[in-house]
Amino acid sequence: MAEQHVPFRGGGFRPQSKRGVGVLVFVFVLLFLEWGTRAGWITNLTLPRPSDVGATLFDLAQSGVLWTHLGPSLTRLIVGSLLGVSAGIGIGVLIGLFSYVRAGLVPVVAAIFPIPKIALLPLFVIWFGIDEGSKYALIALGTFTPTIVATYGAVDNVDRGLIRMGQSFGLSWLSIVRKIVLPGALPGILSGLRVSLAIGIILLVAAEMLGAEYGVGAYILQAGSLYDLERLFAGVVILSALGVLTSWIIGSFEKRLLAWRA
Amino acid sequence: MTTFSRRGAMGLLGGAATLPMLGAPALANTKMTVGALRFTSHAASFVAFERGYFADEGLDVEFKFFQAAQPMAVAIASGDADYAVTAISGGLVSLAEKGATKVIGGALSEEKGIDGQKILASNAAYEAGLTSPAALAGKNYAVTQAGSSFHYMGSKIAAAEGVSVKFKPLQKVGAIIGAMKSGQVDAWSIVPHIAKGLAGAGAVKIIGNVADYIPNYQVTTVFTSAQNAANERGQTEAFLRAFSRGADDFNAALVDKTAGDEAATDMVKLIHKYVYADRPFEKAEKSIRNGAMRINQNAGLNMSSVQDQLDWFKSEGLIKDSITSEALVDSSYAPTI
Amino acid sequence: MDLTLDHLTHRYGDMLVLDDVSLRIPAGEILCVIGPSGCGKSTLLRMLGGLEQPDQGRVLQGGEAPEGCLNPLTFVFQDFALLPWRSVAGNISLVLEDHGLPKAEIDQIIDSVLARTKLSDFRDALPRQLSGGMKQRVAIARALAVNPAVMLLDEPLSALDAQTRELLMEDLVSLWARQPFTAVYVTHNLAEAVRLGHQIAVLSRRPGRIREVIQIDLPLSERAPGLPELDALQSRLWHLMRDEALAADQELVHG
Repeated sequence: MAEQHVPFRGGGFRPQSKRGVGVLVFVFVLLFLEWGTRAGWITNLTLPRPSDVGATLFDLAQSGVLWTHLGPSLTRLIVGSLLGVSAGIGIGVLIGLFSYVRAGLVPVVAAIFPIPKIALLPLFVIWFGIDEGSKYALIALGTFTPTIVATYGAVDNVDRGLIRMGQSFGLSWLSIVRKIVLPGALPGILSGLRVSLAIGIILLVAAEMLGAEYGVGAYILQAGSLYDLERLFAGVVILSALGVLTSWIIGSFEKRLLAWRA
Repeated sequence: MTTFSRRGAMGLLGGAATLPMLGAPALANTKMTVGALRFTSHAASFVAFERGYFADEGLDVEFKFFQAAQPMAVAIASGDADYAVTAISGGLVSLAEKGATKVIGGALSEEKGIDGQKILASNAAYEAGLTSPAALAGKNYAVTQAGSSFHYMGSKIAAAEGVSVKFKPLQKVGAIIGAMKSGQVDAWSIVPHIAKGLAGAGAVKIIGNVADYIPNYQVTTVFTSAQNAANERGQTEAFLRAFSRGADDFNAALVDKTAGDEAATDMVKLIHKYVYADRPFEKAEKSIRNGAMRINQNAGLNMSSVQDQLDWFKSEGLIKDSITSEALVDSSYAPTI
Repeated sequence: MDLTLDHLTHRYGDMLVLDDVSLRIPAGEILCVIGPSGCGKSTLLRMLGGLEQPDQGRVLQGGEAPEGCLNPLTFVFQDFALLPWRSVAGNISLVLEDHGLPKAEIDQIIDSVLARTKLSDFRDALPRQLSGGMKQRVAIARALAVNPAVMLLDEPLSALDAQTRELLMEDLVSLWARQPFTAVYVTHNLAEAVRLGHQIAVLSRRPGRIREVIQIDLPLSERAPGLPELDALQSRLWHLMRDEALAADQELVHG
């Protein structure tokens, strides 16, 4: 029998990064929608024309109205999530380190986590006032619980062998926490942050439901109540951009802080 | 099936234009959905339903209840409801501009001499000197959403007093009531049955009447989808006829009080099935009587008020400048005032 | 400094793992502990280093720690236990930072232990850039940095391939030759035991008991692979352990 090539059968099942395909799909969808809205088989009641949304965004930026909305929203997002995330990391580390704290707080966190924070907004208005306080509180609480869960999970996942090593060299408790536990938990905490901050952005719209004159969320809600689809989608695009931006910021943090992993 | 047989009947009878003359059975068993809020201001629809005026016109009406006016407009546009009564809001105008909805008549109106919508101050603001609308400068004025009727009223009142106020969007009437009670916002305007109920309980203070600032204000309108207005003339006119009979009964019983005490009590009982149904009759009765405002005869529409509202929306940049009252209103159904 | 195990007995739940183990580790010598898997060798070592407490019996340390000793009982782990986010120098400095030494002295210690373990060129490398053998060299350098009285080596070469193992054994021998240290070396590899041990303690399978302690008089520097004396010793050890290892292998895994 003549010699044959052994057939190759090891292909596939190997995710590879294909640059540009995502952008291509995105552009294609936009062009498709543009065509549909221009041709008329997508009515102006169903979806706005992408170019009109672009024009609305451009007008927003040019008239400076974008900044009157983006400024308060960014402040709320930054202050709220900074409060929530730092408290969440602190308490998450404590839960990870101390059995009593864990026994006491894990059920509480499990009880708070699934509460739709939006439902508590009227209560927050009474507690923290209708102005910025209630908005900070809502975003803080929304980012707080997922951060706790991610943090104590990350602390739990720190290699116990490394901690034993630290103990075997007589390192102090504080040194072990600072030099072994925290850096070891950092990857888990950072990937938890991605989720927490996305939730923060989602809650931004909810936070601006009550008593906000300006803000991207208030702008979207107003556009929704006016059934102004161009502005609605312009607002949604801004939120998406905000999401991409935070994800990118965390990504660059990861690149810098977790260079040891790659 | 209903649609098909009705179309067949219409063809036989020589088209839609002749239908109104043919009387009740022409539209036998036409199913339709009517959007409503559980407010006294929607009483005309409830009366028409309970007293069989819709059935007389051959309309098989089913109510769909909403929490706010805005979603009703969207439901009409999406075809989930056929007819509804609500305030002219920015959303309604936008939907009309997109060719989705049409105003076909007027309903609730402010009228001098009839107790209308009230201007309220929170207790805290009242004590701090907000005893009349003239003192509104710099105060927080509660609205459900930008472009809502509350926004319009607050803006007109502030303009008339020559002051500027800060509008606080709180999405829902319930949220506003909470914020008024706790003093988070300073002022608001609302239909009389809610206003009097709150003031009676000592939760807020009444500091003025909307009618003094916006005379002949066309508060709510009857509207439907542009599709119904253009192509279902028979059905739409039948709806308006039944609605107007309900309105007449309501006005006679509770607004003009020409029908006598017994008729008034009967009317309150009827409305109580829909409004404040969770409260005992004795408590609800007062609120329902308090809330009685004129519902225009024959669904007449005050065009000058509609125009004024449109102009205000435009001046606030809430709707496109190109929108005309013709785009919003189909005036072929109801008389204009 | 020397260590004494005094009648150690230990259980995990109902399971007896160590039964009345007594042993003396003389200063300046390497004691190898061998035994089939699951005989409690590593438990024994952790007790020696104070990472675990025996149910009964005592671990005693006698004599003074040497001058400049920062951590008398110092481990070298099978899995290296290096912090992946610290460089080679950083991993060594980790165990020095808590002692309030001036920076210059820390740097000098690092330089010296890196030189002794032939790692000077890898000072700033991260662990992920190093091979297994290099990682274990770093771990040994880290252990040397605290100038230990006793080194506790827990199967330090088990995770490495045969060639690397051979190289590291030579390194350990030459380190000891330069400056003799006290060590307990736990392994299941008989070749390592006969190359590195001044004494070899043979543990029985679970529950671990001392079966025999064998003295090897041949100096470490003269031992080499393939030496007939060592081969004979290795086969004697294998004889001692064979049946036990077989039985241990056939046991069901507990926990």
